[in-house]
Amino acid sequence: MIVKKMIAEKGTVLNNEEIAHGIYQMTFSAERICNEEPFPGQFLNICVDDSWEHPLRRPMSIADVNDNQLSIIYKVFGEGTKILSEYKNGYSIDLLGPLGNSFGETEGTTPILIGGGVGLSPIIWFHKVLQTNGVEHKIVVGAQSVNEHFLSHDPEENIYLTTDDGSVGEHGTVMPTVKKICDEVENPKLFSCGPEPMMKAVHLFVNKFDFPCELSVESYMGCATGLCQGCVIERASNSLKEHSYHERYSLVCTDGPIYQAKEIVFS
Amino acid sequence: MTVDLSVSLGDVSFKNPVFVASGTFGYGTESNDLVDVSQLGAIVTKSITKHPREGNPPPRIVETPSGMINSIGLANIGVDKYIEKMIPVYEKIGTHVITNIAGFSIDDYLHVLEKLESSGGNVCGYEINVSCPNVDTGRMEFSVDPKSTRELTKALRSATKKLLILKLSPNVTDIGEIAAAAVEGGADALSAINTLFGMSIDPATRRPNINTNIGGLSGPSIRPVGIASVYKISKAVDVPVIGIGGITSVKDVIEYLLAGASAVQVGTANFRDAAIATRIINDLGTYCEENDIATICDLIGKVESYD
Repeated sequence: MIVKKMIAEKGTVLNNEEIAHGIYQMTFSAERICNEEPFPGQFLNICVDDSWEHPLRRPMSIADVNDNQLSIIYKVFGEGTKILSEYKNGYSIDLLGPLGNSFGETEGTTPILIGGGVGLSPIIWFHKVLQTNGVEHKIVVGAQSVNEHFLSHDPEENIYLTTDDGSVGEHGTVMPTVKKICDEVENPKLFSCGPEPMMKAVHLFVNKFDFPCELSVESYMGCATGLCQGCVIERASNSLKEHSYHERYSLVCTDGPIYQAKEIVFS
Repeated sequence: MTVDLSVSLGDVSFKNPVFVASGTFGYGTESNDLVDVSQLGAIVTKSITKHPREGNPPPRIVETPSGMINSIGLANIGVDKYIEKMIPVYEKIGTHVITNIAGFSIDDYLHVLEKLESSGGNVCGYEINVSCPNVDTGRMEFSVDPKSTRELTKALRSATKKLLILKLSPNVTDIGEIAAAAVEGGADALSAINTLFGMSIDPATRRPNINTNIGGLSGPSIRPVGIASVYKISKAVDVPVIGIGGITSVKDVIEYLLAGASAVQVGTANFRDAAIATRIINDLGTYCEENDIATICDLIGKVESYD
Protein backbone atom coordinates (compact mmCIF):
# COMPACT_ATOMS: atom_id res chain seq x y z
CA MET A 1 0.00 0.00 0.00
CA ILE A 2 1.20 3.48 -0.84
CA VAL A 3 1.55 5.57 2.29
CA LYS A 4 -0.31 8.79 1.71
CA LYS A 5 0.17 12.02 3.53
CA MET A 6 -2.51 13.34 5.87
CA ILE A 7 -3.64 16.83 4.91
CA ALA A 8 -5.59 19.31 7.04
CA GLU A 9 -7.55 21.50 4.64
CA LYS A 10 -10.46 23.94 4.68
CA GLY A 11 -12.69 23.11 1.73
CA THR A 12 -15.63 25.06 0.35
CA VAL A 13 -19.07 23.46 0.13
CA LEU A 14 -20.27 23.40 -3.48
CA ASN A 15 -23.43 21.36 -3.06
CA ASN A 16 -25.29 19.67 -0.20
CA GLU A 17 -28.59 18.01 -1.00
CA GLU A 18 -30.91 15.30 0.20
CA ILE A 19 -30.67 12.61 -2.49
CA ALA A 20 -33.05 10.17 -0.74
CA HIS A 21 -35.03 10.24 2.48
CA GLY A 22 -32.52 11.18 5.24
CA ILE A 23 -29.54 10.57 2.93
CA TYR A 24 -27.44 13.52 1.79
CA GLN A 25 -24.66 14.04 -0.69
CA MET A 26 -22.23 16.87 -0.09
CA THR A 27 -19.60 18.00 -2.57
CA PHE A 28 -16.78 20.36 -1.64
CA SER A 29 -13.51 21.60 -3.02
CA ALA A 30 -10.43 20.02 -1.45
CA GLU A 31 -7.53 20.47 -3.83
CA ARG A 32 -4.69 19.38 -1.57
CA ILE A 33 -6.46 16.24 -0.35
CA CYS A 34 -7.33 15.34 -3.97
CA ASN A 35 -3.65 15.73 -4.86
CA GLU A 36 -2.95 12.78 -2.57
CA GLU A 37 -5.03 10.64 -4.97
CA PRO A 38 -7.42 8.98 -2.50
CA PHE A 39 -8.92 5.61 -3.47
CA PRO A 40 -12.31 4.04 -2.57
CA GLY A 41 -12.41 2.98 1.06
CA GLN A 42 -10.41 5.93 2.32
CA PHE A 43 -12.09 8.48 4.53
CA LEU A 44 -12.09 12.06 5.76
CA ASN A 45 -12.39 13.24 9.34
CA ILE A 46 -14.68 16.24 9.33
CA CYS A 47 -15.05 18.90 12.00
CA VAL A 48 -18.78 19.60 11.98
CA ASP A 49 -18.97 22.25 14.68
CA ASP A 50 -16.78 25.36 14.98
CA SER A 51 -17.65 25.62 18.66
CA TRP A 52 -16.41 22.98 21.07
CA GLU A 53 -19.86 21.67 21.91
CA HIS A 54 -19.04 18.70 19.67
CA PRO A 55 -15.28 18.38 20.11
CA LEU A 56 -14.72 15.28 17.98
CA ARG A 57 -14.56 15.15 14.20
CA ARG A 58 -16.79 12.75 12.28
CA PRO A 59 -15.16 10.08 10.11
CA MET A 60 -16.84 9.94 6.68
CA SER A 61 -15.88 7.71 3.77
CA ILE A 62 -15.27 9.45 0.47
CA ALA A 63 -18.05 8.88 -2.10
CA ASP A 64 -16.42 10.42 -5.16
CA VAL A 65 -13.43 12.39 -6.39
CA ASN A 66 -13.65 14.69 -9.39
CA ASP A 67 -10.64 16.82 -10.24
CA ASN A 68 -10.31 18.98 -7.14
CA GLN A 69 -13.65 18.06 -5.62
CA LEU A 70 -14.65 15.44 -3.10
CA SER A 71 -18.08 14.07 -2.23
CA ILE A 72 -19.48 12.27 0.77
CA ILE A 73 -22.82 10.49 1.05
CA TYR A 74 -24.13 10.41 4.61
CA LYS A 75 -27.21 9.42 6.52
CA VAL A 76 -28.50 11.83 9.16
CA PHE A 77 -28.64 9.81 12.37
CA GLY A 78 -27.12 11.96 15.12
CA GLU A 79 -26.24 15.52 16.15
CA GLY A 80 -23.10 15.69 14.00
CA THR A 81 -24.73 14.58 10.76
CA LYS A 82 -27.72 16.87 11.50
CA ILE A 83 -25.34 19.85 11.68
CA LEU A 84 -23.63 18.69 8.47
CA SER A 85 -26.98 18.47 6.66
CA GLU A 86 -27.50 22.18 7.36
CA TYR A 87 -24.26 23.29 5.66
CA LYS A 88 -24.97 25.73 2.84
CA ASN A 89 -23.09 26.26 -0.42
CA GLY A 90 -20.05 28.45 0.15
CA TYR A 91 -19.57 27.32 3.77
CA SER A 92 -16.05 26.45 4.79
CA ILE A 93 -15.62 22.81 5.78
CA ASP A 94 -12.74 21.65 7.99
CA LEU A 95 -11.30 18.41 6.58
CA LEU A 96 -8.56 15.96 7.44
CA GLY A 97 -7.65 13.29 4.92
CA PRO A 98 -7.20 11.10 3.05
CA LEU A 99 -7.15 8.61 5.91
CA GLY A 100 -6.98 4.84 6.21
CA ASN A 101 -6.47 2.09 3.63
CA SER A 102 -8.57 1.30 0.58
CA PHE A 103 -10.32 -1.57 -1.19
CA GLY A 104 -7.93 -4.09 -2.71
CA GLU A 105 -7.51 -6.47 -5.59
CA THR A 106 -10.37 -7.39 -7.92
CA GLU A 107 -8.42 -9.19 -10.66
CA GLY A 108 -9.60 -12.69 -11.41
CA THR A 109 -12.80 -12.19 -9.41
CA THR A 110 -16.33 -10.94 -9.93
CA PRO A 111 -16.62 -8.09 -7.46
CA ILE A 112 -19.95 -7.90 -5.61
CA LEU A 113 -20.36 -4.56 -3.87
CA ILE A 114 -22.83 -4.49 -0.98
CA GLY A 115 -23.89 -1.29 0.76
CA GLY A 116 -26.61 0.38 2.74
CA GLY A 117 -27.47 3.30 4.99
CA VAL A 118 -24.41 4.89 6.54
CA GLY A 119 -22.11 2.74 4.44
CA LEU A 120 -22.92 3.87 0.93
CA SER A 121 -20.01 6.20 0.20
CA PRO A 122 -17.16 3.77 -0.47
CA ILE A 123 -19.46 1.32 -2.30
CA ILE A 124 -20.84 3.96 -4.66
CA TRP A 125 -17.37 5.30 -5.41
CA PHE A 126 -15.89 1.82 -5.92
CA HIS A 127 -18.81 1.04 -8.26
CA LYS A 128 -17.92 4.11 -10.31
CA VAL A 129 -14.20 3.29 -10.41
CA LEU A 130 -14.88 -0.29 -11.53
CA GLN A 131 -17.28 1.00 -14.19
CA THR A 132 -14.65 3.43 -15.45
CA ASN A 133 -12.07 0.66 -15.57
CA GLY A 134 -14.47 -1.69 -17.38
CA VAL A 135 -14.46 -4.25 -14.56
CA GLU A 136 -17.67 -6.29 -14.67
CA HIS A 137 -19.24 -6.33 -11.23
CA LYS A 138 -22.53 -6.36 -9.32
CA ILE A 139 -23.81 -3.85 -6.78
CA VAL A 140 -26.44 -4.63 -4.15
CA VAL A 141 -27.86 -1.78 -2.07
CA GLY A 142 -30.24 -2.28 0.84
CA ALA A 143 -32.66 0.13 2.53
CA GLN A 144 -35.86 0.12 4.56
CA SER A 145 -38.01 1.44 1.72
CA VAL A 146 -37.94 3.01 -1.73
CA ASN A 147 -37.66 6.51 -0.18
CA GLU A 148 -34.11 5.78 0.97
CA HIS A 149 -32.86 4.69 -2.44
CA PHE A 150 -31.29 7.00 -4.99
CA LEU A 151 -30.24 4.36 -7.53
CA SER A 152 -32.67 2.51 -9.81
CA HIS A 153 -33.22 -1.21 -9.54
CA ASP A 154 -31.75 -2.50 -12.78
CA PRO A 155 -30.52 -6.13 -12.68
CA GLU A 156 -29.66 -5.99 -16.39
CA GLU A 157 -27.15 -3.29 -15.52
CA ASN A 158 -26.05 -5.35 -12.49
CA ILE A 159 -27.64 -2.95 -9.98
CA TYR A 160 -29.84 -4.68 -7.39
CA LEU A 161 -31.87 -2.82 -4.80
CA THR A 162 -33.51 -4.44 -1.81
CA THR A 163 -36.02 -3.02 0.66
CA ASP A 164 -37.30 -4.25 4.00
CA ASP A 165 -40.87 -3.37 2.96
CA GLY A 166 -40.63 -4.57 -0.65
CA SER A 167 -41.45 -1.12 -2.03
CA VAL A 168 -38.71 -1.45 -4.66
CA GLY A 169 -36.41 -4.21 -5.87
CA GLU A 170 -36.12 -7.45 -3.92
CA HIS A 171 -38.17 -7.75 -0.72
CA GLY A 172 -36.03 -8.31 2.37
CA THR A 173 -32.40 -7.76 3.30
CA VAL A 174 -29.49 -7.77 0.87
CA MET A 175 -28.50 -11.32 1.82
CA PRO A 176 -30.83 -13.44 -0.39
CA THR A 177 -29.77 -11.40 -3.43
CA VAL A 178 -26.11 -11.64 -2.48
CA LYS A 179 -26.39 -15.42 -2.05
CA LYS A 180 -28.13 -15.77 -5.41
CA ILE A 181 -25.46 -13.72 -7.20
CA CYS A 182 -22.68 -15.71 -5.52
CA ASP A 183 -24.24 -18.90 -6.91
CA GLU A 184 -24.35 -17.46 -10.41
CA VAL A 185 -21.00 -15.74 -10.92
CA GLU A 186 -17.43 -17.00 -11.28
CA ASN A 187 -15.08 -16.36 -8.35
CA PRO A 188 -17.21 -13.92 -6.37
CA LYS A 189 -15.39 -11.47 -4.14
CA LEU A 190 -17.49 -9.37 -1.80
CA PHE A 191 -16.88 -5.77 -0.79
CA SER A 192 -19.22 -4.46 1.87
CA CYS A 193 -19.94 -1.36 3.89
CA GLY A 194 -23.15 -0.77 5.79
CA PRO A 195 -25.02 -0.87 9.06
CA GLU A 196 -23.85 -3.38 11.64
CA PRO A 197 -26.58 -6.03 11.08
CA MET A 198 -25.73 -6.06 7.34
CA MET A 199 -22.01 -6.34 8.02
CA LYS A 200 -22.56 -9.14 10.52
CA ALA A 201 -24.73 -11.06 8.02
CA VAL A 202 -22.15 -10.65 5.23
CA HIS A 203 -19.38 -11.66 7.62
CA LEU A 204 -21.21 -14.83 8.67
CA PHE A 205 -22.03 -15.73 5.08
CA VAL A 206 -18.52 -15.35 3.64
CA ASN A 207 -16.93 -17.18 6.54
CA LYS A 208 -19.35 -20.08 6.04
CA PHE A 209 -18.69 -20.40 2.30
CA ASP A 210 -15.10 -19.22 2.37
CA PHE A 211 -15.59 -16.40 -0.14
CA PRO A 212 -12.98 -13.65 -0.22
CA CYS A 213 -14.45 -10.49 1.25
CA GLU A 214 -13.33 -7.01 2.24
CA LEU A 215 -15.33 -5.15 4.86
CA SER A 216 -15.22 -1.40 5.41
CA VAL A 217 -15.62 -1.15 9.17
CA GLU A 218 -17.49 1.62 10.95
CA SER A 219 -16.08 2.76 14.31
CA TYR A 220 -16.46 5.60 16.76
CA MET A 221 -13.25 7.61 16.41
CA GLY A 222 -11.57 10.20 18.60
CA CYS A 223 -8.84 11.41 16.24
CA ALA A 224 -8.63 9.06 13.21
CA THR A 225 -4.85 9.43 13.22
CA GLY A 226 -3.72 6.84 15.78
CA LEU A 227 -3.32 9.23 18.70
CA CYS A 228 -6.26 8.26 20.89
CA GLN A 229 -6.40 4.46 20.40
CA GLY A 230 -10.17 4.70 20.71
CA CYS A 231 -11.41 2.96 17.54
CA VAL A 232 -10.24 -0.62 17.99
CA ILE A 233 -11.73 -3.79 16.54
CA GLU A 234 -10.87 -7.31 17.68
CA ARG A 235 -8.68 -9.40 15.43
CA ALA A 236 -9.76 -12.96 14.61
CA SER A 237 -6.25 -14.25 15.21
CA ASN A 238 -6.67 -13.17 18.80
CA SER A 239 -3.99 -15.02 20.68
CA LEU A 240 -5.03 -13.66 24.09
CA LYS A 241 -1.42 -13.39 25.12
CA GLU A 242 -0.98 -11.91 28.53
CA HIS A 243 1.38 -9.15 27.50
CA SER A 244 0.93 -7.79 24.00
CA TYR A 245 0.10 -4.61 22.14
CA HIS A 246 -1.71 -4.37 18.80
CA GLU A 247 -2.02 -8.13 18.48
CA ARG A 248 -5.50 -8.54 19.91
CA TYR A 249 -6.89 -5.16 18.88
CA SER A 250 -6.41 -3.35 15.59
CA LEU A 251 -6.82 0.42 15.11
CA VAL A 252 -9.62 0.96 12.58
CA CYS A 253 -8.30 4.44 11.71
CA THR A 254 -4.77 3.54 10.70
CA ASP A 255 -4.89 -0.25 10.11
CA GLY A 256 -8.36 -0.10 8.50
CA PRO A 257 -11.06 0.79 7.79
CA ILE A 258 -10.87 -2.02 5.18
CA TYR A 259 -10.29 -5.51 6.56
CA GLN A 260 -10.36 -8.96 5.03
CA ALA A 261 -13.44 -10.55 6.63
CA LYS A 262 -11.30 -13.35 8.04
CA GLU A 263 -9.08 -10.90 9.91
CA ILE A 264 -11.71 -9.57 12.31
CA VAL A 265 -14.51 -10.59 14.63
CA PHE A 266 -17.70 -8.65 15.30
CA SER A 267 -18.59 -8.67 18.98
CA MET B 1 9.07 43.85 22.04
CA THR B 2 10.51 40.40 22.63
CA VAL B 3 8.42 38.21 24.85
CA ASP B 4 10.06 35.60 27.03
CA LEU B 5 7.77 32.57 27.00
CA SER B 6 10.22 30.25 28.76
CA VAL B 7 9.35 28.59 32.04
CA SER B 8 11.20 26.29 34.42
CA LEU B 9 10.13 23.14 36.20
CA GLY B 10 12.71 21.76 38.61
CA ASP B 11 16.07 22.23 36.88
CA VAL B 12 14.64 22.07 33.38
CA SER B 13 13.92 25.12 31.26
CA PHE B 14 11.19 24.87 28.61
CA LYS B 15 10.99 27.19 25.59
CA ASN B 16 7.32 27.84 26.29
CA PRO B 17 4.69 26.67 28.77
CA VAL B 18 2.43 24.78 26.32
CA PHE B 19 2.89 21.00 26.36
CA VAL B 20 0.78 18.19 24.92
CA ALA B 21 -0.84 15.87 27.45
CA SER B 22 -0.24 12.19 27.95
CA GLY B 23 -2.54 9.91 25.98
CA THR B 24 -3.51 12.64 23.52
CA PHE B 25 -0.39 12.83 21.37
CA GLY B 26 0.73 9.20 21.09
CA TYR B 27 4.49 8.83 21.30
CA GLY B 28 5.02 12.24 19.72
CA THR B 29 5.61 11.40 16.07
CA GLU B 30 2.18 10.23 14.81
CA SER B 31 1.16 13.75 13.74
CA ASN B 32 4.34 14.73 11.91
CA ASP B 33 2.35 15.33 8.70
CA LEU B 34 0.28 17.96 10.46
CA VAL B 35 2.46 19.74 13.00
CA ASP B 36 6.03 20.81 13.71
CA VAL B 37 6.40 19.21 17.14
CA SER B 38 9.70 21.01 17.79
CA GLN B 39 7.65 24.14 18.52
CA LEU B 40 5.97 22.52 21.51
CA GLY B 41 7.10 23.34 25.04
CA ALA B 42 7.27 19.60 25.66
CA ILE B 43 5.68 16.32 24.63
CA VAL B 44 4.30 14.13 27.38
CA THR B 45 4.10 10.58 26.04
CA LYS B 46 1.41 7.98 26.38
CA SER B 47 1.62 6.11 29.67
CA ILE B 48 4.39 3.52 29.49
CA THR B 49 4.05 0.35 31.57
CA LYS B 50 6.34 -2.52 32.52
CA HIS B 51 4.73 -4.86 29.98
CA PRO B 52 2.94 -4.06 26.69
CA ARG B 53 -0.81 -3.65 27.11
CA GLU B 54 -3.63 -4.25 24.62
CA GLY B 55 -5.99 -1.94 26.48
CA ASN B 56 -9.71 -2.32 27.05
CA PRO B 57 -12.33 -3.88 24.72
CA PRO B 58 -14.30 -1.49 22.49
CA PRO B 59 -16.22 0.74 22.64
CA ARG B 60 -13.52 2.87 24.22
CA ILE B 61 -14.66 6.43 23.55
CA VAL B 62 -17.81 8.50 23.30
CA GLU B 63 -18.44 12.18 22.75
CA THR B 64 -20.29 14.06 25.52
CA PRO B 65 -21.40 17.70 25.68
CA SER B 66 -18.18 19.71 25.13
CA GLY B 67 -16.13 16.69 26.03
CA MET B 68 -15.58 12.98 25.70
CA ILE B 69 -15.31 9.89 27.86
CA ASN B 70 -12.48 7.47 27.23
CA SER B 71 -11.56 4.10 28.55
CA ILE B 72 -8.48 3.10 26.58
CA GLY B 73 -6.97 1.07 29.41
CA LEU B 74 -3.33 2.18 29.07
CA ALA B 75 -2.76 0.48 25.71
CA ASN B 76 0.96 0.89 25.04
CA ILE B 77 4.04 -0.84 23.64
CA GLY B 78 5.70 -1.43 27.04
CA VAL B 79 8.97 0.00 28.31
CA ASP B 80 11.36 -2.31 26.42
CA LYS B 81 9.94 -1.51 23.00
CA TYR B 82 9.63 2.15 23.99
CA ILE B 83 13.36 2.28 24.70
CA GLU B 84 14.14 0.42 21.48
CA LYS B 85 11.79 2.28 19.11
CA MET B 86 11.09 5.72 20.53
CA ILE B 87 14.06 6.84 22.65
CA PRO B 88 16.38 7.04 19.57
CA VAL B 89 13.75 9.14 17.75
CA TYR B 90 13.71 11.66 20.60
CA GLU B 91 17.40 12.53 19.98
CA LYS B 92 16.32 14.72 17.06
CA ILE B 93 12.77 15.67 17.97
CA GLY B 94 13.69 19.26 18.81
CA THR B 95 11.88 19.63 22.11
CA HIS B 96 11.73 18.11 25.56
CA VAL B 97 10.11 14.71 25.98
CA ILE B 98 8.59 13.76 29.32
CA THR B 99 7.85 10.06 29.66
CA ASN B 100 4.58 9.30 31.40
CA ILE B 101 4.78 6.15 33.53
CA ALA B 102 1.89 4.03 34.83
CA GLY B 103 1.90 0.96 37.03
CA PHE B 104 0.02 -1.13 39.53
CA SER B 105 2.60 -1.31 42.30
CA ILE B 106 5.62 0.72 43.41
CA ASP B 107 7.80 -1.98 41.86
CA ASP B 108 6.08 -1.56 38.48
CA TYR B 109 6.75 2.17 38.41
CA LEU B 110 10.34 1.69 39.62
CA HIS B 111 10.97 -0.98 36.98
CA VAL B 112 9.98 1.40 34.14
CA LEU B 113 11.80 4.39 35.59
CA GLU B 114 15.02 2.47 36.26
CA LYS B 115 15.04 1.00 32.76
CA LEU B 116 14.61 4.48 31.29
CA GLU B 117 17.35 5.86 33.54
CA SER B 118 19.81 3.22 32.39
CA SER B 119 18.85 3.69 28.72
CA GLY B 120 20.56 7.08 28.81
CA GLY B 121 17.97 8.47 26.42
CA ASN B 122 16.99 12.03 25.70
CA VAL B 123 14.11 12.20 28.16
CA CYS B 124 14.09 15.26 30.38
CA GLY B 125 11.88 13.81 33.07
CA TYR B 126 8.96 11.66 34.13
CA GLU B 127 5.31 12.28 34.71
CA ILE B 128 3.86 9.67 37.02
CA ASN B 129 0.31 8.61 36.22
CA VAL B 130 -1.16 7.74 39.60
CA SER B 131 -4.64 8.53 38.47
CA CYS B 132 -5.85 6.47 35.52
CA PRO B 133 -9.49 5.65 36.21
CA ASN B 134 -9.71 2.90 33.59
CA VAL B 135 -7.81 -0.09 34.87
CA ASP B 136 -9.14 -2.71 37.23
CA THR B 137 -6.22 -3.38 39.48
CA GLY B 138 -4.81 -0.63 41.62
CA ARG B 139 -7.63 1.61 40.49
CA MET B 140 -6.74 5.08 41.71
CA GLU B 141 -5.08 3.54 44.75
CA PHE B 142 -2.10 5.87 44.75
CA SER B 143 -3.83 9.07 43.85
CA VAL B 144 -6.56 8.93 46.49
CA ASP B 145 -4.34 8.10 49.44
CA PRO B 146 -1.74 10.62 50.66
CA LYS B 147 0.39 7.92 52.28
CA SER B 148 0.64 5.80 49.11
CA THR B 149 1.33 8.90 47.03
CA ARG B 150 4.15 9.90 49.39
CA GLU B 151 5.72 6.42 49.42
CA LEU B 152 5.58 6.03 45.65
CA THR B 153 7.07 9.48 45.07
CA LYS B 154 9.82 8.81 47.59
CA ALA B 155 10.77 5.51 45.93
CA LEU B 156 10.93 7.14 42.49
CA ARG B 157 12.79 10.18 43.80
CA SER B 158 15.56 7.96 45.14
CA ALA B 159 15.93 6.41 41.66
CA THR B 160 16.27 9.58 39.56
CA LYS B 161 17.65 13.08 39.65
CA LYS B 162 15.61 14.04 36.60
CA LEU B 163 12.43 16.09 36.66
CA LEU B 164 9.78 14.14 38.58
CA ILE B 165 6.16 15.16 38.10
CA LEU B 166 3.14 13.53 39.77
CA LYS B 167 -0.10 13.69 37.79
CA LEU B 168 -3.02 14.00 40.17
CA SER B 169 -6.62 12.88 40.03
CA PRO B 170 -9.53 15.27 40.53
CA ASN B 171 -11.57 12.36 41.92
CA VAL B 172 -10.53 13.02 45.51
CA THR B 173 -11.92 14.93 48.47
CA ASP B 174 -8.93 17.23 48.93
CA ILE B 175 -6.47 17.49 46.04
CA GLY B 176 -4.29 19.86 48.11
CA GLU B 177 -3.62 17.09 50.64
CA ILE B 178 -2.50 14.64 47.93
CA ALA B 179 -0.37 17.38 46.35
CA ALA B 180 1.34 18.04 49.69
CA ALA B 181 2.06 14.31 50.10
CA ALA B 182 3.67 14.15 46.64
CA VAL B 183 5.84 17.15 47.44
CA GLU B 184 6.88 15.59 50.76
CA GLY B 185 7.90 12.52 48.78
CA GLY B 186 10.14 14.68 46.61
CA ALA B 187 8.11 15.62 43.52
CA ASP B 188 9.55 18.55 41.55
CA ALA B 189 6.19 19.50 40.05
CA LEU B 190 2.56 18.40 39.89
CA SER B 191 0.22 17.96 36.92
CA ALA B 192 -3.50 18.48 37.42
CA ILE B 193 -5.90 17.20 36.43
CA ASN B 194 -6.31 13.73 35.02
CA THR B 195 -9.82 12.82 33.82
CA LEU B 196 -12.93 12.92 35.97
CA PHE B 197 -15.16 9.89 36.37
CA GLY B 198 -17.79 10.01 33.66
CA MET B 199 -20.58 7.85 32.29
CA SER B 200 -23.08 8.07 29.46
CA ILE B 201 -25.82 5.59 28.55
CA ASP B 202 -27.65 4.94 25.29
CA PRO B 203 -31.36 5.11 26.20
CA ALA B 204 -32.29 2.96 23.18
CA THR B 205 -30.16 -0.01 24.20
CA ARG B 206 -29.83 0.82 27.94
CA ARG B 207 -26.14 0.09 27.50
CA PRO B 208 -23.34 2.34 28.71
CA ASN B 209 -21.57 3.92 25.74
CA ILE B 210 -18.20 2.54 26.73
CA ASN B 211 -17.23 -0.98 27.64
CA THR B 212 -16.00 -0.33 31.17
CA ASN B 213 -19.30 1.47 31.96
CA ILE B 214 -17.52 4.35 33.68
CA GLY B 215 -14.56 6.09 32.04
CA GLY B 216 -12.55 9.30 32.17
CA LEU B 217 -14.21 12.56 31.17
CA SER B 218 -12.06 15.17 29.44
CA GLY B 219 -12.41 18.19 27.16
CA PRO B 220 -13.68 21.76 27.59
CA SER B 221 -16.45 20.60 29.95
CA ILE B 222 -13.88 19.85 32.69
CA ARG B 223 -11.88 23.09 32.33
CA PRO B 224 -13.39 24.82 35.38
CA VAL B 225 -12.55 21.76 37.50
CA GLY B 226 -8.98 21.88 36.24
CA ILE B 227 -8.61 25.56 36.97
CA ALA B 228 -10.05 25.19 40.48
CA SER B 229 -7.72 22.25 41.13
CA VAL B 230 -4.65 24.19 40.00
CA TYR B 231 -5.74 27.10 42.20
CA LYS B 232 -6.11 24.84 45.26
CA ILE B 233 -2.82 23.00 44.66
CA SER B 234 -0.85 26.19 44.15
CA LYS B 235 -2.15 27.46 47.49
CA ALA B 236 -1.23 24.17 49.20
CA VAL B 237 2.34 23.60 47.91
CA ASP B 238 5.36 25.54 46.67
CA VAL B 239 6.34 23.46 43.64
CA PRO B 240 5.25 24.38 40.09
CA VAL B 241 1.90 23.13 38.87
CA ILE B 242 1.11 22.08 35.29
CA GLY B 243 -2.52 22.84 34.43
CA ILE B 244 -4.50 20.32 32.38
CA GLY B 245 -8.14 20.14 31.43
CA GLY B 246 -10.09 21.40 28.45
CA ILE B 247 -7.59 23.84 26.93
CA THR B 248 -8.54 24.90 23.39
CA SER B 249 -7.30 28.51 23.16
CA VAL B 250 -4.83 31.06 24.46
CA LYS B 251 -7.53 32.46 26.75
CA ASP B 252 -7.72 29.08 28.49
CA VAL B 253 -3.95 29.06 28.96
CA ILE B 254 -4.04 32.52 30.54
CA GLU B 255 -6.76 31.34 32.94
CA TYR B 256 -4.62 28.42 34.06
CA LEU B 257 -1.52 30.60 34.46
CA LEU B 258 -3.44 33.16 36.51
CA ALA B 259 -4.81 30.36 38.69
CA GLY B 260 -1.24 29.33 39.51
CA ALA B 261 -0.04 27.03 36.73
CA SER B 262 3.57 27.41 35.57
CA ALA B 263 2.83 25.43 32.41
CA VAL B 264 -0.14 23.75 30.77
CA GLN B 265 -0.92 20.66 28.73
CA VAL B 266 -3.32 20.58 25.80
CA GLY B 267 -5.19 17.26 25.75
CA THR B 268 -8.47 16.32 24.09
CA ALA B 269 -8.20 19.23 21.63
CA ASN B 270 -5.29 17.41 19.94
CA PHE B 271 -7.73 14.78 18.71
CA ARG B 272 -9.57 17.42 16.70
CA ASP B 273 -6.53 19.41 15.63
CA ALA B 274 -3.02 18.04 16.11
CA ALA B 275 -1.56 21.50 15.44
CA ILE B 276 -3.68 23.34 17.99
CA ALA B 277 -0.99 23.55 20.69
CA THR B 278 1.48 25.18 18.28
CA ARG B 279 -1.17 27.73 17.26
CA ILE B 280 -1.86 28.47 20.93
CA ILE B 281 1.88 29.07 21.43
CA ASN B 282 1.87 31.65 18.63
CA ASP B 283 -1.25 33.26 20.06
CA LEU B 284 0.38 33.38 23.49
CA GLY B 285 3.26 35.43 22.07
CA THR B 286 0.80 37.81 20.44
CA TYR B 287 -1.27 38.08 23.62
CA CYS B 288 1.81 39.00 25.65
CA GLU B 289 2.91 41.62 23.11
CA GLU B 290 -0.53 43.19 23.02
CA ASN B 291 -0.74 43.27 26.80
CA ASP B 292 2.83 44.42 27.50
CA ILE B 293 3.80 41.23 29.27
CA ALA B 294 7.56 40.86 28.94
CA THR B 295 7.82 37.46 30.48
CA ILE B 296 5.14 34.80 30.76
CA CYS B 297 6.19 34.08 34.35
CA ASP B 298 4.67 37.45 35.30
CA LEU B 299 1.23 35.90 34.86
CA ILE B 300 1.70 32.85 37.06
CA GLY B 301 -0.65 32.92 40.05
CA LYS B 302 -1.67 36.54 39.42
CA VAL B 303 -5.40 35.95 39.79
CA GLU B 304 -6.91 38.71 41.87
CA SER B 305 -8.96 36.53 44.19
CA TYR B 306 -11.85 37.80 46.26
CA ASP B 307 -11.03 37.91 49.97
